[in-house]
Amino acid sequence: MKKYFLPVALSALIFGFWLSPDFQQIAAGVAIFLFGMLMLEDGFKLFSGGYLERMLEKATGSTVRSVIFGIVSTTVMQSSSLVSVITISFLSAGLISLIGGVGIIFGANIGTTTGAWLVAGFGLKVNIAAYAMPMIAVSIILVFQRAKYLRGIGYALAGLGFLFLGIHFMKVGFESFKDQLDLTRFAMTGLLGLIVYTLIGMSATVIMQSSHATMVLIITALAAGQISYENALALAIGANIGTTITAIIGSLSANFQGKRLALAHLIFNVVTAAVALVFIRPIRDAVDWVSAGVGIADSDYALKLAVFHTIFNALGVMIMLPLLNRLIAFLERKIVEPVPDKSKPKYLSEAVDEFPETIEAAMRKEVKHLYENAVELIAHGLNLSRHELFETDDIAATVRASRKPVDFDIDERYEARVKTLYAAIVDFATRTGAKNLSPDVTDRVYVLRDVAGKIVHVVKSIKHLRRNATEYTIQNQGAVTEIYNGLRTEIARILVEIRKLDQAEPEDRSHLWLDEEAAHVEEDAKNSIRVVDALIRKGSLDADAATSFLNDSDYAYGAMRDLLSVARAFYIESDSAVAEVERLLAMDEEDVAEVAAEATEA
Amino acid sequence: MGLKKYAEKLDDYFERLKQGKAEKIEATHVEKVIRKLNAKKQQLLDEIQTTTKESKKARLEQKLLFAAEHIKRAEMLLEQISK
Repeated sequence: MKKYFLPVALSALIFGFWLSPDFQQIAAGVAIFLFGMLMLEDGFKLFSGGYLERMLEKATGSTVRSVIFGIVSTTVMQSSSLVSVITISFLSAGLISLIGGVGIIFGANIGTTTGAWLVAGFGLKVNIAAYAMPMIAVSIILVFQRAKYLRGIGYALAGLGFLFLGIHFMKVGFESFKDQLDLTRFAMTGLLGLIVYTLIGMSATVIMQSSHATMVLIITALAAGQISYENALALAIGANIGTTITAIIGSLSANFQGKRLALAHLIFNVVTAAVALVFIRPIRDAVDWVSAGVGIADSDYALKLAVFHTIFNALGVMIMLPLLNRLIAFLERKIVEPVPDKSKPKYLSEAVDEFPETIEAAMRKEVKHLYENAVELIAHGLNLSRHELFETDDIAATVRASRKPVDFDIDERYEARVKTLYAAIVDFATRTGAKNLSPDVTDRVYVLRDVAGKIVHVVKSIKHLRRNATEYTIQNQGAVTEIYNGLRTEIARILVEIRKLDQAEPEDRSHLWLDEEAAHVEEDAKNSIRVVDALIRKGSLDADAATSFLNDSDYAYGAMRDLLSVARAFYIESDSAVAEVERLLAMDEEDVAEVAAEATEA
Repeated sequence: MGLKKYAEKLDDYFERLKQGKAEKIEATHVEKVIRKLNAKKQQLLDEIQTTTKESKKARLEQKLLFAAEHIKRAEMLLEQISK
């Protein structure tokens, strides 16, 4: 199907050009209009720079707020497709709820009707090209500016200018076209007309991937008298179904939540279209009544079409809102959340690639996912149970009592649950680096990538440590068991402290809490040779065990330092000024040595 | 204790601030950190009171010493930026 699309589309265009030179003007109008939409989208992506994303997060607090946000954002951006793609991206990154996302989609369907009003009420009544030209001329100066927001405004202005220019070309094209070819010859009445034109509207929107462009085409053709009002209504209904294609395509690279949202969009638009088709007569009567009420002339079919578009979308929202919870339950039943596969990235999908906020949030969550997998490996690698460690109030005693080897292949588990995730994280960070994002976002993503690297390093150290830690602790062998248990206890203690940091409220926690742990690690690392010497002299430790321990303690203290460094970077204050304060107060090795010395003296 | 390093870090911060490479620290930022540290200090004091095991108690007391040192440095910083 895909391979036939391009030749068929090109042949249809060439046939159209051959048929009528004015068709060229209409086709160019559609192309310029779509180009304008692309520029508008690019502009908003630059211009938003996190603002839009923050708004999205806040705006989904309740269903009503989500719907209002959908209406407002689509009205401003003049693209329900962009809003739905952003919503899918946010949902995939776990930043908004499914119910909030569905609310936005409902609102976007109402917001998109403002486009019909814009064209019917403004585009056809004034010389729209007169506005387009200066907009495009001014925009190009802004587009070449270095400042991101100025460039954003430039793209958005150019987008709007091209939208207007596209409408102008379509309008002129249809006006000339009607002298050569009367499309009303193909008008159909009755049920057949309704179905055929609904399908045409749907197909046109799928091809152009913009209901907005289809609506403009319908309104300009209607204003030029090239299609009948009845057929225009059916085309508008069809466009509403066809517009779901963008969300469906966007959801292909999204996770299960993104797919649920795309299905919700499809269900909403199909149900709305079905209701509009079944109740076409009463809706037409309602359009006439509203039009008369607001002073729209009975023969102004373009504006009446805008009224129809608004009424049937608003009706759809009114029908679907009370069924929202049932719709969510249906979606959750139909698209089941896959059983979490710990070896696969959970948050890094292409759907989150588009926006700075989703990129950083998804990266942070994925690194946390990697850390959780790593903690399991670290604990099991040392024959410990995470649950026992996190619940005990005597870590040393719990470690001493944990003698039974945990039966698993650490190399295989490392490959499956750590290495694959790390590879995905590095790949994602590299992709992010190639994007034109603000240096702050890119830097934070790179910091998170480096955190992931350290987590991997810790697991590798535990892999080295596992054999001897198991051999010397499965039964009490005296001093050697004691010193290996000491290493296991210190690693376990750091895991517990990091968990405490994780479980504290973000407003209350500080990585400064880990300074004492760092001091303890350095103190123990320094003392380890002295302790081993003393044990050898006493005859409690043989040379083989001593050499093994000294090698292993290097890995163990390295792992502890890496773990502390991971926690300090991961749980850094989100407010950069407060983070600066904590950086100043943090005690480095030298400070720590002095504090430790004072503690000993005291 | 360790104040030479702290003074160096502070100088470095003021230098970065002058170059526009660091966020300006206001009193509220330092106060927020002091609030967090005091909460941790209180939590440690409570834990020490209920702990019976000597080695664990000693470890908690050392953590308390660090928290006190952080608070002392934060108060000094507050004074310096309020000048």
